[in-house]
Amino acid sequence: MIVGGQSLVTSPPVFSHDGKKLLVCTGCTVSVFSTTTGMLITELEGHTERVTSIVVVPVAGTVGTKFSNYCWTASLDGMIFYWDFSTPDLLKKVNVQLPVHSFVIPNILSASLGRSDKASQNLYAFISVEDANKEVENGKHLHGSIQIYDLTNSTRAGGVLAETHKPETLAVSKSGEFVGIKKKQQLNIWRVPNKNLKSVNMKKLKLHHTRTLSCLAFHPTKCIVAAGDVSGRILIWRGFGKMRHSQDGGGKMKIDMGDRPGVRGEDDADSCSTWHWHSSEIKFLMFSSDEAYLFSGAKEGVIVVWQLDMGNKTYKPNIGSPLMYFTDSPDPSLSCVSCEDNQIHLLRMPSMDIIKSISGIKPPLILSELQGDRSRVTIGCDRSIGFVALPTKDYRIQFFSLLDGTDISHLQVIERNYDPVDETTVFISLVEVSDDGSMMSTVEEKLPEMGIGGLISLKFWIRGSHTGQYTLSTIIYEPHNNAGVSDMAFCPGRSMAVSTSYCGNFKVWVNNSSFIHSGDEIQEKGGWRCQSVSSYKEIPMTAAAFSGDGSVLAVAAETKITLWDPLNNVLVAIIGDSLGPIRRLAFVGSSEYIMSFSSGTKADLVVWNISNLSRHWSYKLLVEDICCTRSETRVAVLALLSSSDKSISAGKDGMVLVFDVENPIPVSTWFVKKAKGGRLSFINNKLGEATDGKLLLAYINGEHNYVLFDPSNVKEQEDLIPKSARRPQSYAHDENVSHGYASIYGELPSFDLTKARSSDSIPFVSSKRPWETIFSGSSHALPPLSKLCSPFLESLLEKAEKQTVLSQ
Amino acid sequence: MMADEATRRVFPTEPASHLRPRSRSVKSLVSTPESSFWRTFRSSTLHPSYLHLPITSLSFSPNSSLLAAASSTSVRVFSSLSLSEYDPDFDPALFATLPLPDLAYSPSFRCDGALIAAGCENGAVRVFDLPNDKPPKTLRRLNAHSCASRVVSFPLLDHKLRLFSAGDDALFVQWDLPTETPLFSVPGAHRDYIRAGAPSPVSPDVFVTGSYDHTVKIWDARVDSGASSVLSINHGHPVESVLFLPSGGLLATAGGNTIKIWDVIAGGKPVYSVETHNKTVTALTLAKVRDDTRLLSVSIDGYLKSFDFSRFKITHSMRYPAPLLSVAFSPTGTIRVVGTNNGAMYMGIKKKKDEFEDQVGSDDFAWSVPLPEKPTSRKNIRYFKRGQSEKPSEGDFIIKRPEKVKLKEHDRLLRKFLHKDALVSVLKTQQTTSIMAVLEELVARRKLIKCISNLDNDELKLLLSFISKKATQPWCARFLMDLAKCVLEIRAEDIRSGGPEMAVHVRNLRSMVAHEIQVQRSLQEIQGMISPLLVIAGK
Repeated sequence: MIVGGQSLVTSPPVFSHDGKKLLVCTGCTVSVFSTTTGMLITELEGHTERVTSIVVVPVAGTVGTKFSNYCWTASLDGMIFYWDFSTPDLLKKVNVQLPVHSFVIPNILSASLGRSDKASQNLYAFISVEDANKEVENGKHLHGSIQIYDLTNSTRAGGVLAETHKPETLAVSKSGEFVGIKKKQQLNIWRVPNKNLKSVNMKKLKLHHTRTLSCLAFHPTKCIVAAGDVSGRILIWRGFGKMRHSQDGGGKMKIDMGDRPGVRGEDDADSCSTWHWHSSEIKFLMFSSDEAYLFSGAKEGVIVVWQLDMGNKTYKPNIGSPLMYFTDSPDPSLSCVSCEDNQIHLLRMPSMDIIKSISGIKPPLILSELQGDRSRVTIGCDRSIGFVALPTKDYRIQFFSLLDGTDISHLQVIERNYDPVDETTVFISLVEVSDDGSMMSTVEEKLPEMGIGGLISLKFWIRGSHTGQYTLSTIIYEPHNNAGVSDMAFCPGRSMAVSTSYCGNFKVWVNNSSFIHSGDEIQEKGGWRCQSVSSYKEIPMTAAAFSGDGSVLAVAAETKITLWDPLNNVLVAIIGDSLGPIRRLAFVGSSEYIMSFSSGTKADLVVWNISNLSRHWSYKLLVEDICCTRSETRVAVLALLSSSDKSISAGKDGMVLVFDVENPIPVSTWFVKKAKGGRLSFINNKLGEATDGKLLLAYINGEHNYVLFDPSNVKEQEDLIPKSARRPQSYAHDENVSHGYASIYGELPSFDLTKARSSDSIPFVSSKRPWETIFSGSSHALPPLSKLCSPFLESLLEKAEKQTVLSQ
Repeated sequence: MMADEATRRVFPTEPASHLRPRSRSVKSLVSTPESSFWRTFRSSTLHPSYLHLPITSLSFSPNSSLLAAASSTSVRVFSSLSLSEYDPDFDPALFATLPLPDLAYSPSFRCDGALIAAGCENGAVRVFDLPNDKPPKTLRRLNAHSCASRVVSFPLLDHKLRLFSAGDDALFVQWDLPTETPLFSVPGAHRDYIRAGAPSPVSPDVFVTGSYDHTVKIWDARVDSGASSVLSINHGHPVESVLFLPSGGLLATAGGNTIKIWDVIAGGKPVYSVETHNKTVTALTLAKVRDDTRLLSVSIDGYLKSFDFSRFKITHSMRYPAPLLSVAFSPTGTIRVVGTNNGAMYMGIKKKKDEFEDQVGSDDFAWSVPLPEKPTSRKNIRYFKRGQSEKPSEGDFIIKRPEKVKLKEHDRLLRKFLHKDALVSVLKTQQTTSIMAVLEELVARRKLIKCISNLDNDELKLLLSFISKKATQPWCARFLMDLAKCVLEIRAEDIRSGGPEMAVHVRNLRSMVAHEIQVQRSLQEIQGMISPLLVIAGK
């Protein structure tokens, strides 16, 4: 089983003491990357929840090599671990019992765990924890709290320093002298005493602002703190805390109330200046190691370098994505910036050139203007090599290898400049890769402004010599006039594709570029051309699929499935109604079955028999995706659980079911998280000497985390999917879950499979509630009276049952 | 991994134009070196006789730059020197007119240019001399053909006393000029009219004939083998023209709408077939294009095509308004003449020096081994005084300055988010594709409506005039119709109070709409007429 696709940018990354390694929080693990090659070196596995912060133990002079690769990590599972990340070994566990959202160790320079022989000091950490069970005080939900924790003795040192609405991120100055948080419109800063660290003798300093603050940073040496707010302003307080802290030190209080420009009220600072360039919330602030500059970044994707004395600024544009964090390394010529598109760029410092990028799987495209089902963005999947094609926000397609977990290449699909600030008006709405990966088609949509100037275009790409390298073959503008493209499908083994549209027709496209070499005049005629256009009663076409040998084309006309001969453009047969508009179709291997599902209020999942044009079996399930193997009769279904179903434990909103198509009872079932927008695909396993030629099932969830596993290998699942998925058989004895299982399979007992089979001669048969549809259809095809009688009586019985229930 | 993120491309607003369907004219504007060569010819038209009789054959003298054209009953000889000195009031620079008893065919110059021979409809072959000062006179009358002698040719090589002729009577003759007697005669050389023939460039005794019986035969006068030829090739169509390519080993034949290249040395193996003409190919000739040689072909479909037989590729094609029957290209490479079936000759005279010619000239010298440049040693004071003008030497690795992205005015304004200014600036350029590109970009940025409402009256006039001109063009109609409606709705007040100029624009718009409605109605009528036909055809 392979798990991957975690976000690299949930928390700021940290450099190792020599700047050669970069520690990145990736889900439950910490990944260690090399900064010279950008490749993954090792992973620290041990936490059971998302890792939120890392503190690398610095090396002070002579002590040198021994502690050179030690770090602390904190996670939402309430544990703080101490690692040697070169081997990697887990050295120490500290249980805080509360989810840790942020954690800093101010005195890590002077104190170290290994130096207990001469160190009189304990190692104290400031932790920002979340206490969800905390009682409501004065109508305020103060979930977050800042505490001090003694890591040496694994005890809490004193009480709570501060309470916040939600857990805040802690900031510490380089010298370890100050620790601060932002708290709505104010900054809270504590000076860390050298000795006797207790929460009672910590003095809190507050600096106020009129807007909600978003981040803060301390100057490495001077008493300067910078804070950014949600409107894009940067505030620099100079000389803060002189009164309070000097008072502490026994010195004389000197306040000159008159000469404090910019400082609000009783705030303890010499001056406060404001800089404004960014137009949106400041995401990070960072003082340069030479103390002369301040870096800031926000959604624009531009790093602004402020000269600290004058406020002059220079820019580093073209990062190409909203920025998240900026981290500098002990090596002054290296730093890194994390972007929202799941990339970390390593920067060569004075010039800020990108020397390497560590990129993960791109986050899903979120569209602001969802127009129902139309703007559903799909991702393509290449079964043979196991990579996915993901549309990204900057008008590209990322090819990501699921097996290796690496980014393969990027392809510019729409020739437009990307500006992270703009709202998305042009996007790639559909990506379809052919089974062997040799062809790809993309559909891009441009949303109109007040009805003016929308454009949909279809592009065909042909694979080049490398994996994930595609060249543009043909552009087709407005393939279905003004209407959107609902689905695309490639014909296996042939240069043929079909696109269906909401305007009620579908087009078969063929690639006739074989004439390309017969002269330069004819070269133009190559490329994809429309071979035929067809429609069925002008009903919007919603899905399409080719059979395994490419001889049958199935196109869904809302609730009906029409079967066509794609070469001659002849309607062969019609298979009758599903409950709602069909969203996707899939032929089950080389068998005689076709599978469809529809969504919406009348969601269902149906397996149809092509040979006798009838419903084989069906479920009333809200299905997100289906996929079938090309050779076997196995099908995998990703179903969403209804939100009313409280029995399923939190977070798990979907399940993956594997069926054998002959049998409506699932072979195996797993519960999964974030199934909304997920995808399933069978891919060839090329990794294994152990698993020879077996297909792996890839599940990509709505946040583009993915898992690859062999669905037939039962043992392995139980071992390796403990967190996100479990087998239902073990659930069956658990009364908590069996209830949920029963609620999903409510129809199962009354499933009349035999009846559906017995009425084979009838072309339109609905299996579950036959009395609803039995009288519909043409009169000459009505079933004989003997068959009509019993369901009719059953329907009467059903009503009676309901009435009895009501009367009770 | 993706270190190229820093060098993101800048996409200007003008995309690959999806708006306008790619037309042929756009494509021909794509400049290849070959097309730029052919563009250096200035074309003119010449009517040698004022009768509209076809010009069946054209021939250039190999050395004296004379052009002979066979038309009606005479061969007209022009001095191409006087042709090339172009006179706006063009007077046919007629050098001489050679009278023939019937319709003249196939004038041919001797290799020194002193004699010219021509065939004739009644079968007579006449040889004339061409003295510079005196009028030409008939030297020899060769009578053997009983039907039209359509092929008359001197050998290409230095053999001044021989002449080949062939005719519709399927007779092929090699003449001895001084005695007017046939040396080598093949009666019934073909089973149909012989309409094409060419001498070999490598031997004075080898000749090729092409006939309407679809065959091409190679004759060698040294081999007296009766009526059988050295080599016979079946072209597959009635042969209109044959030609040896310069090596003498390859043969080009034209017949039907195909041109075929044959390997003679390999025993008549087909090498390539060109099928780019739509109608019968009537004549072939060789042309010197810079350093290369091209095969020019003309056809009844009015196209002249240049075929690069070293790469087997059509490199250029030109269209003329009439069916073409003959073509000639001067040995100096400066004049191109085509003859049509209505008596007009289209001439292309090289007007200016080809910009590539200099390069080609200098390339000739590149063959000589360049002297090794004396390396400037570090002791030399010049080494330290090297400046910006220092040229990189052979082995130096040149770091190129990143190329500056050239942006148009509207692109620059768009990058500065000055949307309205960009719109106004692009409207002033009046380039429809650019305007449409900017409008679409504004839509993508959700700024179009704001732009429209911010335009002042003069700018609104610009926009309205653009809309009223272009709104019914099919490739931008969908966008502009909506836009027109939107503009009229948003700016109704300003348009009403905009004065007479604004009223003119609105009136134009209205008349355009009325016209478009009429067009649509007539289109619907046509559709109504056609659709029953289609339905019937479908059945």
